[in-house]
Amino acid sequence: MKRTVIPMGPQHPVLPEPLVLDLILEDEKVVDAVPTIGYIHRGLEMMVERVEYTEMGFVVERICGICSFMHGMGYCVSLETMMNIEVPERARWLRLIWAEISRIQSHLLWLGLGADAFGFENLFMHCWRMREEVLDIFEKTTGGRIIHSVNRIGGVKRDVSDTELAAILVRLQDLGQAFKATAEVFGSDPSIAHRLGGVGVLSAEGALAAAAVGPMARASGIATDTRLNGANLYDQIEFQPVVENAGDCLARVVVRLREIDQSIDIVRQAIDKMPKGEGQPLEIKPRGNPQGEVFTRLEQPRGEVLYYVKANGTKYLERFRARTPTFANIPAMIQLVKGCDLADVPNIILTIDPCISCTER
Amino acid sequence: MANPFNLPMVRRSLRNLVSRPATRRYPTEIRPRFAGARGTLEFDVETCNYCMLCARRCPAAAITVNREARTWAIEQLTCIACGVCVDVCAKKSLTMLVTSRAVHTHAEVGPQGQRPGHEEWHSADPAVAAATAATTKAAEGAAG
Repeated sequence: MKRTVIPMGPQHPVLPEPLVLDLILEDEKVVDAVPTIGYIHRGLEMMVERVEYTEMGFVVERICGICSFMHGMGYCVSLETMMNIEVPERARWLRLIWAEISRIQSHLLWLGLGADAFGFENLFMHCWRMREEVLDIFEKTTGGRIIHSVNRIGGVKRDVSDTELAAILVRLQDLGQAFKATAEVFGSDPSIAHRLGGVGVLSAEGALAAAAVGPMARASGIATDTRLNGANLYDQIEFQPVVENAGDCLARVVVRLREIDQSIDIVRQAIDKMPKGEGQPLEIKPRGNPQGEVFTRLEQPRGEVLYYVKANGTKYLERFRARTPTFANIPAMIQLVKGCDLADVPNIILTIDPCISCTER
Repeated sequence: MANPFNLPMVRRSLRNLVSRPATRRYPTEIRPRFAGARGTLEFDVETCNYCMLCARRCPAAAITVNREARTWAIEQLTCIACGVCVDVCAKKSLTMLVTSRAVHTHAEVGPQGQRPGHEEWHSADPAVAAATAATTKAAEGAAG
């Protein structure tokens, strides 16, 4: 049969960011897809060579506007590991709380974008309305809605009072209750089930072979979650990774829906367990220059992120690299796109939650 | 297969028809920024001792300080409002406004016809001003 090549992206109505896929079609079926990245490469990693390590955190958190907190945290944790800095406990708990709130924010954003991609604009508005409330929490506690700039090497910049933490928890729990109605739409609306159910099925073996991470792998029945390694105080939190077994686009939506509830519960546990009282130390200033190399893993909303930092004893780092979850999920996405209908391609791309600015940095 | 008559979104939409709108009537109704939000950097020329710590620590290299000429300048369009300079300032000359203040973005709008976003302060001390003027004159004389 005659083959047609359809270039999809870098500008495409469904894509929030410039991913490029050359789709090779036979009639309406996709037989192959060739991804290209590099349209918004900004060379942020190269900046370590001329930005001092204490200031590089501000650059790192600008890798991405959605997981900016986790990027800043990952960089700071890497440097703290390298320089053997014991971060004050309250600061570590605050980081965990902010990280989980940013997961809620990211999932709400994605659910909205996903709804928009399958043509459910009304639902998109509902999700983003809730996301606004989460962003308000960020503005109140960190001073910024998107770029938080609270992570410093050795701790965090700002404290959140115990009363405010309690208020945040109440607000998040109310949000979780209100979100149930929206989650019900995702879970039971027949048009969504028709559009996403059984589309782009990734088997557990396929997910393992393509090394999928995060919600992508968990929707295929693989209980992988970097938080399970217990780092960054997650060993004191009781939680089980959210796993769905269907592996289709709908399962990937449901995993994210359930993770919002899970994150609210983690915030509750963290507020319970963190040391109470204001005026506690939050930051230990790093002394001297870092030396050595270190890997750090974190569970971002999209999956496992990996940071590599190499330092040579000067105030400029030698190498900084981030392997982001979208990059890890692209091979799985290509697997899914092969054999599907052209009309399903946007949904499949969206359900990996692509963040191209993270991927290309 | 999902039940085709189960339409939760219809219920939500009907409820939304009679509920209050989620948005505000911007620009007549503006939500105030929260206390502690980071907006625009403000500089107080009276208290600054030109120690240059802010300029050294600025991650975006937006601040330039000239200790001899007693001038302090910022590129507001380069500033990323991280607040590091406010933290390090020993004289508390720098404050972070909660709201974002408009900065001029066209050269002709700037008070001294300077480049977009550039704001500059000179020491108000008359002795310093006279010394700066004399240095400038001498430099001009040497060049001429």
